[in-house]
Amino acid sequence: MDILQLIQSNLLTPIILFFLFGIIAARIKSDLKIPEAISEFLPIYLLAAIGLHGGIEMRNTGFENMLVPMLVAIGLSLLFTLNHYQILRRLGKFNIFDSYALASTYGAVGAVTFSVGLSFLKNQGVSSEGYIAAILAVLEPVAFILAIFLTNMAVSKQIKAKKRSFTSDDTSDIDVGIQNKTKLSQVLHESVTGKAIVILLGSIVIGYIIDEEGFSSIKIVFDEMFTGAIVIFMIEMGIIAGQRLDDIKKVGIFLTAFAIVMPTFNGIIGVLVATAMGLSLGGAVMFGLLLASASFIAAPAVLRHAIPQAKPSLYITSALGITFPYNIIVLLPIMFTISSILHTGEGSIDLFNYVIKNWI
Amino acid sequence: MKLYNVKLLTITCEILAQKNIIEILKNHEITGYTTYEVDGNGARGLRGQGFKNEKNVKVEVIMREEKLSDVIEEISRTLFANFAIVLYVSDVGVVRTEKF
Repeated sequence: MDILQLIQSNLLTPIILFFLFGIIAARIKSDLKIPEAISEFLPIYLLAAIGLHGGIEMRNTGFENMLVPMLVAIGLSLLFTLNHYQILRRLGKFNIFDSYALASTYGAVGAVTFSVGLSFLKNQGVSSEGYIAAILAVLEPVAFILAIFLTNMAVSKQIKAKKRSFTSDDTSDIDVGIQNKTKLSQVLHESVTGKAIVILLGSIVIGYIIDEEGFSSIKIVFDEMFTGAIVIFMIEMGIIAGQRLDDIKKVGIFLTAFAIVMPTFNGIIGVLVATAMGLSLGGAVMFGLLLASASFIAAPAVLRHAIPQAKPSLYITSALGITFPYNIIVLLPIMFTISSILHTGEGSIDLFNYVIKNWI
Repeated sequence: MKLYNVKLLTITCEILAQKNIIEILKNHEITGYTTYEVDGNGARGLRGQGFKNEKNVKVEVIMREEKLSDVIEEISRTLFANFAIVLYVSDVGVVRTEKF
């Protein structure tokens, strides 16, 4: 299928149109606003729906199939986070805090992006493996934990170096270091008990228990209304992205390029690896999207506490203002096309088996 | 009626700093405080729009003067550099001084 054609038809879906509409509403300074309670409710609803679907489908596929993709996803996420850090620190010349914060923002997953991906596949009449919802839940804290751990290491190393050079006390810095260190377990606890993961895991378990039979009574809310709910949420996302459009200038050319190139690279690798692992057409797209997406709802909450020195204006603006629109408008159709080619053209898969061998 | 002089510490900060502040208060054995969500404009631009995580919050704490400077010192040392935060102190009178 022609990629451009797919992008074009993707542009005209309600999800994207409402997102663009939200941006316009913000640009003309309209007072249009989704009530706060609703915009807080919608992510919970979306995650519950994703979890239920995942749980039901996991009953059909079983747990054994899930293990390898999950471990590979965790491995890739960690690898990508380190890779991001090197690129940002070496090439982008960002300071250590911004580099780690951005690296983990892009290593983490975006639940909203994931929802849009699911509804994109639904629109194309393609299904995906249910256990990807479980991977979403597991992957969520991974990149943050790594980044926070490495930041703590770097900070205590700096303090040690400082201590050695001054020998006399510089207590304020030492305090900062101690404070940062105790935070890791706290961050771990917070991100695992955070509402996103709790609702997602809870719904997966409930979905697994109730199966299709029990689901039929709530299907109207959690299945048929799913895309409609995303549309409403997209208005809100559009408005927030629109309000930040001016900030993009402050983000700089390097980070703007990073926010587009990195997800493309990660996403395509994700699709290739998933295909090599034997995931379906839709599953490979979702797997790629997991790795391509950047977190912009969970990230600020975690990073502001764990790496307060990093500027939130950088990581929120680039993730929400650049990467999110790019992912749902352009990258999603690209990954879908690649995945379709891989799954229909048999000859090419061997090549990617070769690629995956190098990875493992 | 006799009013006793105590201090009111008011902190306006980003909502994600609220936890740190309450932690600091706890370290100084202060358990009573009032918070409310606010929005406004400041050095870090218009705040209170967009995500819930980017809202501002106002924390009010009544305390005796003895504890005040330690609390303020710790807040300034740990939070001023990285968070959107403003704090000020005023004199207030309370009836039941034993509460603070």
